[in-house]
Amino acid sequence: MSMLRLAAQRTVASRAICSSTRAVRPLSLLARGRSTAWNASTRTFAPVPLNATFRRGYADASKFSRAKPHMNIGTIGHVDHGKTTLTAAITKVLSDSGDAQFTDYSQIDKAPEEKARGITINSAHVEYESGSRHYGHIDCPGHADYIKNMITGAAQMDGAIIVVSATDGQMPQTREHLLLARQVGIKKLVVFINKVDMVQDPEVLELVDMEMRDLLSTYNFDGENTPIIMGSALAALEGRDDEVGATKIRELVQACDEWLDVPARDLDKPFLMPVEDVFSISGRGTVSTGRVERGIANKGDEVEIVGLGASFKTTLTGIEMFHKELDRGEAGDNMGCLLRGVKREQIKRGQVLIAPGSMKAVKKFQAQIYVLTKDEGGRYTPFMSNYRPQLFLRTADITTSLSFPEGTPDAEERMVMPGDNVEMVCDLVHDVAAEEGSRFTLREGGKTIGTGIVTKVLEHA
Amino acid sequence: MLRTLCPRRALLSSLNTPRLYSTAPVKPSVQLIGQLRKRTEVSISKAREALTATNNDVDAAFDWLEKDLAASGAKKAAKVADRDAREGFVTISVLSGGAHAPQSNGGGPGTGGLRAALVELNCETDFVARNALFTQLAADIAHTAAFLAEPSDSASLIQSYNLDMLKDAPLLSASDPNSGANTSVGSAIQELIAKVGEKVALARAATVAQPQPPSTAAVGLRLGAYTHGGAGGGLQGRVGGLAILGYRNALLSAPQAEREKLERALARQIVGMGPQTIRKEEGVEGGMALYEQPFSMMGEDATVRQVLDNWAQTHGVSGGDSGVEVIEFLRWTVGESE
Repeated sequence: MSMLRLAAQRTVASRAICSSTRAVRPLSLLARGRSTAWNASTRTFAPVPLNATFRRGYADASKFSRAKPHMNIGTIGHVDHGKTTLTAAITKVLSDSGDAQFTDYSQIDKAPEEKARGITINSAHVEYESGSRHYGHIDCPGHADYIKNMITGAAQMDGAIIVVSATDGQMPQTREHLLLARQVGIKKLVVFINKVDMVQDPEVLELVDMEMRDLLSTYNFDGENTPIIMGSALAALEGRDDEVGATKIRELVQACDEWLDVPARDLDKPFLMPVEDVFSISGRGTVSTGRVERGIANKGDEVEIVGLGASFKTTLTGIEMFHKELDRGEAGDNMGCLLRGVKREQIKRGQVLIAPGSMKAVKKFQAQIYVLTKDEGGRYTPFMSNYRPQLFLRTADITTSLSFPEGTPDAEERMVMPGDNVEMVCDLVHDVAAEEGSRFTLREGGKTIGTGIVTKVLEHA
Repeated sequence: MLRTLCPRRALLSSLNTPRLYSTAPVKPSVQLIGQLRKRTEVSISKAREALTATNNDVDAAFDWLEKDLAASGAKKAAKVADRDAREGFVTISVLSGGAHAPQSNGGGPGTGGLRAALVELNCETDFVARNALFTQLAADIAHTAAFLAEPSDSASLIQSYNLDMLKDAPLLSASDPNSGANTSVGSAIQELIAKVGEKVALARAATVAQPQPPSTAAVGLRLGAYTHGGAGGGLQGRVGGLAILGYRNALLSAPQAEREKLERALARQIVGMGPQTIRKEEGVEGGMALYEQPFSMMGEDATVRQVLDNWAQTHGVSGGDSGVEVIEFLRWTVGESE
């Protein structure tokens, strides 16, 4: 950023024509990097149109650009191995090329105090860009904390950097780090071996590398091909010893770019719109409204209506938004869909419009559930198997029974306490369109008592 | 901090002077470091130190480490002493569950009496808490405390156990009671600190020790235990509860399965509902008195008191005195003590 700033000022000086709204990059990246909290400090120069010769306009830098695919990445590692230093170092090194806002150690580390908004969230949010991607970076403070963040959707890792100190090598708890990564569905990791400037013997580094590859393979990661970068985050942060510092940080980011897979964007997924409301418009037909969750629908496309006992196909004869006709609706749009030959009674809130065959209605599934504590507005008391709250999934509101997965010892006597992360089976009264990864909340008597994510479909409707 | 500073100083001096870092007499072999780490899970730098000190002799290095671990753990422990350790587990060990305790309970001598312990061992992250090294140590410490507990004349059955005494005590293995004690509880904790590099601290311990009641006793004591939110098996979790029940003798012949069901349910009720007292007392809200709570852990809407009376009636004691009572209970949550 600093270089760009200099360049910009020079431009301003030489041309004396330039307007620029300079905004500090948002520090916190909320829920999965989709929305950003603006905290713009603006300073305006002479009001003249932006010059086209500008290498990279300031407006671009201050605005969340969707040009690069977004990915959520996390650091996992022992408390003393330098996770925070590494995070700070990445932002420092990338800020030199204008791809990040330098976020220093204290800004990252104070994150645990940032507890608010209903469910207590315990993770820091940092963002940066590589040549080809935009990264949301979180620190993973603990197993239970992370699982909770993942279930609630507050923070999520699509890939992870395991940080290991060269002086210690992997620790007994590195196994638990890898187990967590496995449990939350991370398939690929990048390893950063930190503090290499404190180890003089190259053979020792080889040993750390070898042990790490062994361990990765033990936990079903690709131990052979996983990139392992050796460097010193502190050196990078302090701007010394570039060959183990900044250079290695760039290598690490490049390894992330090349090795970690970007998750499919909502726009690229098959079309899905939850039905929020249904109207009958005389002379036209039945219109269903809702906010498109993912994918794209074009006028004339065939869609399937699924859930609450229904499953039939029809044609999307019209799309409307803000009382205007559209040819195309996409993820994020609030729109109305005119459906051919569908009676008003055939369709209701809780169902979904989808690209045919892209999802099925389910009756029973296994889910990872976080049960809110009473401080978070949840229950005061535990519940047992066969508890029956309301399950809200998209616009659907369905009674479900909760029980423990088959084979759970003493399932009869088991209880679930507020604050628990627990794997349970949801047996729904009505079927609903859902798949692995679908999120839902559980409510009882008008208050949210839990939130969950589908991990396995057990029974289709 | 020591670790961060020293090598950097070494690095700096090596920049100013000709590079002379072959001061170590023998260069430890990397293969041996690997071997040593597989056996002991110590850090690479520690393994190097051990091999350097013992001229690359793995067995000697192993012994060297054994002696050194507690010491280096102590150093590390001092370094991390100021940190927050709020994760970990409450672990319960029940050596003798009370009157007519089944042999299969791991009974041992003193069947018929009570012998149990509750300990809380803390660490910094739940990654470490979930590691087998930690869970085993916690189980061993609970076992040790239960083993060492001594009956006292005090009015309460559940006694808090002196932590310094416990740390000086030889550590007994819960999984293999016949293996001799090699180390004290305190050094075992320091060894774990050396291995996992986090603060590990014994927060509190409580024990129950009651000899077999005389044959004239009218009431038999039994114990219910439950832990919630553990990572694996055993009585280990984020919340742990102990309940001591007194049965009129006639009830001790009630089917064992029924009795145990009641005991477990009571312990669960205590863990789940977090009562503060047994009976309604002044200054305690109704819902916070165990006997006033609906006994949901038995699947009942009736209060604990009513369910206990009904249970006694079903099994042959009716009217007048209650046949079964909760005499004392204890409930701990990880990280709540200060």
